[in-house]
Amino acid sequence: MTLRRLLLGLVFPVALLAAWEVSVRTGLLSEDVFSRISRIVPALLEGLADGTILARTYETLAAALFGWAIAAAIGIPLGLVLGLVRPLERLTLVTIEALRPVPSAALIPIVLLIFGFSLELDATVAAFACLWPVLIVTTGAVRGIEPRLLEVGRALGYGALARIWHFALPAALPGIAVGLRVAFGIAIVVAVTVEIAANPRGLGYAMITAQQSLRAEVMYAHLFWIGLVGWLINVAMIRAERHWLRWYWAARGAA
Amino acid sequence: MRAAWLAASVAFAAALVALWQVAADHGLVSRVFFPAPSRAFDFLGEWAASGELWGPLAGTIWRTLAGWLGATLLGVALGAAIASSAVTRDLFEPTVEFLRPMPSSAMIPPAILLLGLTDGMVVAVVVFGSIWPILLGAIHGFRSVEPRLMELARTLRMGRMHRLASIALPNALPEIFAGMRVSLAIALIITVVAEMLSSRPGLGQMILFAARNFRSAEIFAGVFLLGALGYLFNAVLERAERYFLRWRPAVGNG
Amino acid sequence: MAQPIFAFRDVSVRFGATPILDKVGFDVAPEEFLCLVGPSGCGKTTLLRVAAGLIRPQEGRAEFEGRTVAEPTPELAIVFQDYSRALLPWRTVAGNVELALEARGAPRAGRAAEVKRLLGIIGLADHAQKFPLQLSGGMQQRVQIARALAQRPRILLMDEPFGSLDAMTRQALQDEIARLCKSERQTVVFVTHDLEEAIYLGDRVVALKANPGRVVEIVEIALPRPRDQLTTREHPRFLEYRHRLFGHLAKKEAE
Repeated sequence: MTLRRLLLGLVFPVALLAAWEVSVRTGLLSEDVFSRISRIVPALLEGLADGTILARTYETLAAALFGWAIAAAIGIPLGLVLGLVRPLERLTLVTIEALRPVPSAALIPIVLLIFGFSLELDATVAAFACLWPVLIVTTGAVRGIEPRLLEVGRALGYGALARIWHFALPAALPGIAVGLRVAFGIAIVVAVTVEIAANPRGLGYAMITAQQSLRAEVMYAHLFWIGLVGWLINVAMIRAERHWLRWYWAARGAA
Repeated sequence: MRAAWLAASVAFAAALVALWQVAADHGLVSRVFFPAPSRAFDFLGEWAASGELWGPLAGTIWRTLAGWLGATLLGVALGAAIASSAVTRDLFEPTVEFLRPMPSSAMIPPAILLLGLTDGMVVAVVVFGSIWPILLGAIHGFRSVEPRLMELARTLRMGRMHRLASIALPNALPEIFAGMRVSLAIALIITVVAEMLSSRPGLGQMILFAARNFRSAEIFAGVFLLGALGYLFNAVLERAERYFLRWRPAVGNG
Repeated sequence: MAQPIFAFRDVSVRFGATPILDKVGFDVAPEEFLCLVGPSGCGKTTLLRVAAGLIRPQEGRAEFEGRTVAEPTPELAIVFQDYSRALLPWRTVAGNVELALEARGAPRAGRAAEVKRLLGIIGLADHAQKFPLQLSGGMQQRVQIARALAQRPRILLMDEPFGSLDAMTRQALQDEIARLCKSERQTVVFVTHDLEEAIYLGDRVVALKANPGRVVEIVEIALPRPRDQLTTREHPRFLEYRHRLFGHLAKKEAE
């Protein structure tokens, strides 16, 4: 990334923030609604220093991780089976196509009834939202496996389960990895959404309570923080996936 | 063959519902959390008959669609503008990439601050929340024009608008449609959340209210409607996509 | 030559440090079918793009009716080799041809008739409502030619238009383009790496050598028209031209 491009990329955000500050100071934008950068930044630093933001971050990420793990635990095996056994995929098609379009937020009330305001509320709704991408990507990855590979497994005398573990799963893994990465991004988004809508925990809740108590600078501080965390995690996951897959292919090549 | 499988698939789904019904009737699952489907449908019927269904249903539908259409128009226009030159791309793409993983629902609290608990707030939030997939698709689609076609445009001395309408936009359309599909799903979710928070008459508000009163059959009725809406929106959009992109060669499905 | 409609005057082109064309110069007479032939890498495509105004030479210039070619114009219609990338896949055959009429600002009333006429003479009348990706390679190339003709070009520039087609289609299109251009009295500059095609089609053949591209010989083709795939190719003079030019091409390939 050349220096020129880096600087050009910063022009717009910096200009926007500067315009924001100036507009509020000159009264063009209402300070009650927009706050000002010079108060948002201190609020952010304060929240980080006293640990509250980090505590909320942990709550959100824990819920996202939990939900994502559940989705993976259900979606990957199910996807493997559906991908390998075509008749099963056809049989379950209508059920899946009927459940998939349900907006994840719509599940909040019923899960709220079951689990109350808790980590499980965030995690369950997130799990529902993540399940479909994981399932679809896994099924697709399995279907894309070179058929001869599985024939080799059968010829070598491997049983069905062993074939899945030793042949299908490794071959589908790169595709599944991408799906899992995308799903984790979704899990974070859904966790924050549930917190904004109803659940009194995490970063989303911090944002909505700040809004309700008319502390705009705290609200925006959390908004920036959510954006930053989301972006950092996304970048980290892409790097990790690239690195891990390289190791994976190297290890398999050597095997 | 295909029709047979479709029928079997429907039968399978129906069997699952029947199983649920039986389990609920015999008290095998908690009736509080998993009411019998028949009760949910009974409620749906009453609700429709009394005429109270249509207001909230219409509310959710128009807010979702208005916001999503706004997001589409804005996203395509901005995408065209950003993609138009290397300078604009260098200026705006980094910001767009940074904002991409941002939860759209995080726009809701600032929007409430700005616009209050109004329909305008809901639509505004849907626009700004669901614009990203369309914007990204548009930028990418507008950038990927075949160089030969740009040379053709130069040779024919095509005007800017003509080039945009005949070459750039049709070229970007597949990616824009892909973005529109994702956006529509996001738009529905955001509408539901915003309705929950703002108590505007809609399905989101209705199911949250039902939860507060422990009326789980009503919740399931509402969830069913929302699922049906999601399905319908997607089906119509896919139909439109197939029409507008009918020039594409048929891709064999494995 | 009386008044050349087109001329290359000492055209030199470099890409970075690599010389592609070195002082290429020759004239094109009105209504002439001029073939440009040479081994791959001799810069013939580059020369054609200079003629079309898509590239500016570092030295020398291309002249159209005495004026320097500075930028592309519809009067210099270019037909590309990669036809599938040069057509608008989202428009029908008729729509693709009509594009040239739209760009020209032709009145709406007459467009349909003009498109119909052009499709008729190129043999695509039955396929007017099909989309390019539904057509074979030969038909797609015909669409491109029809569109080029719709531009009412003074000169038709063709860049190895039949290179990606099978032998049978190629021969059919050769005859068609020869017939068409002679009946419409169209000036053509036709680039090809196929020596026999160049001799078969051309009134004159300009042979280029490679590294860098330079004119080595210009041959007047005194063969009777209309040309015939069987008899013309067995004509004694045909073989004579072949021998004469083959030496240049082969020698330059080895260099």
